[in-house]
Amino acid sequence: MKHLAAILLATLQIHAGTALATEVASPSPFSVSGFGTLGAVRTDKDNRAFRSSTTQSSGASTDFDLSVDSVLGLQATYKFSSALDVTLQSVVRKDSSNSYDPTLSFAFLRIQATPELTLRAGRMRTPFFLYSDSLNLNYVTPWVRPPVEVYSLNPFANLDGLDAFYRLPVSGMELELHAYEGRSDLDARESTGNLTRIRGIKASLSASRLTLHANFAKADLAMYWNGPTFVALGNQLIATGNGQILEQITGSGSPTTFISTSFQYDDNRLLLIGEYAARMMERYSASAIGWYLTGGYRLGSITPFATFARQHQVATDNAANTGNPSADAALKMLNFARNKAQTSIAAGIRWDVTRNLALKTQLERIQPGPDGLGILISSTPVTNFSPGGPVHVFSLSADFVF
Amino acid sequence: MRTFHAFLIGILLACTSAAQAEVVLVTSARSGPIELSREQAEKLYLGRSTTLGDGTPVNLVDLPNGSTRDEFYLKLTGKNPTQIQAYWSRIVFTGRANPPKEAGSIAEARQWLTDTPNIIGYLDRSDATTGLRILLRLP
Repeated sequence: MKHLAAILLATLQIHAGTALATEVASPSPFSVSGFGTLGAVRTDKDNRAFRSSTTQSSGASTDFDLSVDSVLGLQATYKFSSALDVTLQSVVRKDSSNSYDPTLSFAFLRIQATPELTLRAGRMRTPFFLYSDSLNLNYVTPWVRPPVEVYSLNPFANLDGLDAFYRLPVSGMELELHAYEGRSDLDARESTGNLTRIRGIKASLSASRLTLHANFAKADLAMYWNGPTFVALGNQLIATGNGQILEQITGSGSPTTFISTSFQYDDNRLLLIGEYAARMMERYSASAIGWYLTGGYRLGSITPFATFARQHQVATDNAANTGNPSADAALKMLNFARNKAQTSIAAGIRWDVTRNLALKTQLERIQPGPDGLGILISSTPVTNFSPGGPVHVFSLSADFVF
Repeated sequence: MRTFHAFLIGILLACTSAAQAEVVLVTSARSGPIELSREQAEKLYLGRSTTLGDGTPVNLVDLPNGSTRDEFYLKLTGKNPTQIQAYWSRIVFTGRANPPKEAGSIAEARQWLTDTPNIIGYLDRSDATTGLRILLRLP
């Protein structure tokens, strides 16, 4: 106790000293903050690995796995003036090659052009869907992770380019218009790709309890498959005189559209979130629709919630009708492997332990298919033809911000 | 007489606790003329605006986590500590805006606000001493 008092006294003296030494005290123009999740997840099926994103090459099976949901982000901002600043954000989480190299998720200059208009240039996040620009920030949502049925529709996360936010009041509500353009590069499981000529607009209308969002974006997609399955398929197609089909599977310049509409309702007790999103593409992958509906109810610091979510494919872009049975089987396999269709129902609890720490638990029942394994992967690709019964996924996580 | 004394002490105590419960928005006495409506203060502290009503850019100060900060946000925005943390996290980590600059202590916040013109902060009424100008009261 005496020790503690001495330390306190010394600290006070040091503080008094610094206060005297600096003539004018001003807030520093530099600030650092961060966020993260420590998550553990397991399933009840041996030959099915659960992933939180299509960019992951491995996932969780019947043992608890910390790599699927855990993430750490650090962000720093330097203000040159009240109208100009620079922001950097780096994120560490498992990537497609199972490494944890830090990636640069923000590196932009921000200009407050007018009181209503903010301009940014550099690296931002693609804002295609409701939570796309905060995908690693699980602290702000009730779930352990955003529903994969919608968020696997677009694995492209970085936006290198320009954007603008324009805010205006509309009869007691606030309208935010977010226009953006640029490009995005991606390494995913057994593939690489990019979106070029991205141009989109997102509108968000906020009242005190209800927020409505709508997004429309277009881009050109390039997609290059490089897994052993694809190499075998390519050789087979060429050998059977069907090489032209490859142009439907891999290449560049496929017109692609991302659409999303969503709502959030929060009256401090009842919490409702719903989103409907679509990805439409001419070549290289299939067009698909995803949606979810979540309901939660706050009981003090405890928020139980439930979610229903679904993704289904609306068109396969290559018909398996070459007339060669083995080439057709291989084409069908590729179609099934990239089809992320699934239906899930989840129930969970969020517990706000302190103001910057939330503990969550969630149990999901995922029915993969039809015609594919959904977000799940299997070490025996032939399983894609017979996804089988539901897979149960149990998650525990701690989300924090600082 | 005794009851009267007790009554007086009771009134005094009530007054003191009422005075402590008042949060005020302040700026340096050396700041230029600043008009701050409650509506504009709410917009500023929710990151929906970065300027005063007349378009002048303004920097904001936050107190460290504690009862005055919680009371301030609850009174001004109706959001509890967890809600305001989630709200600001989304704004900051999507790169929309900077949060108010958090001081290490109430004393540091008061020092910044006294020494630096044209920044805005909030304090418990009893901490708003000389060198500061009160812009808005949140009783």
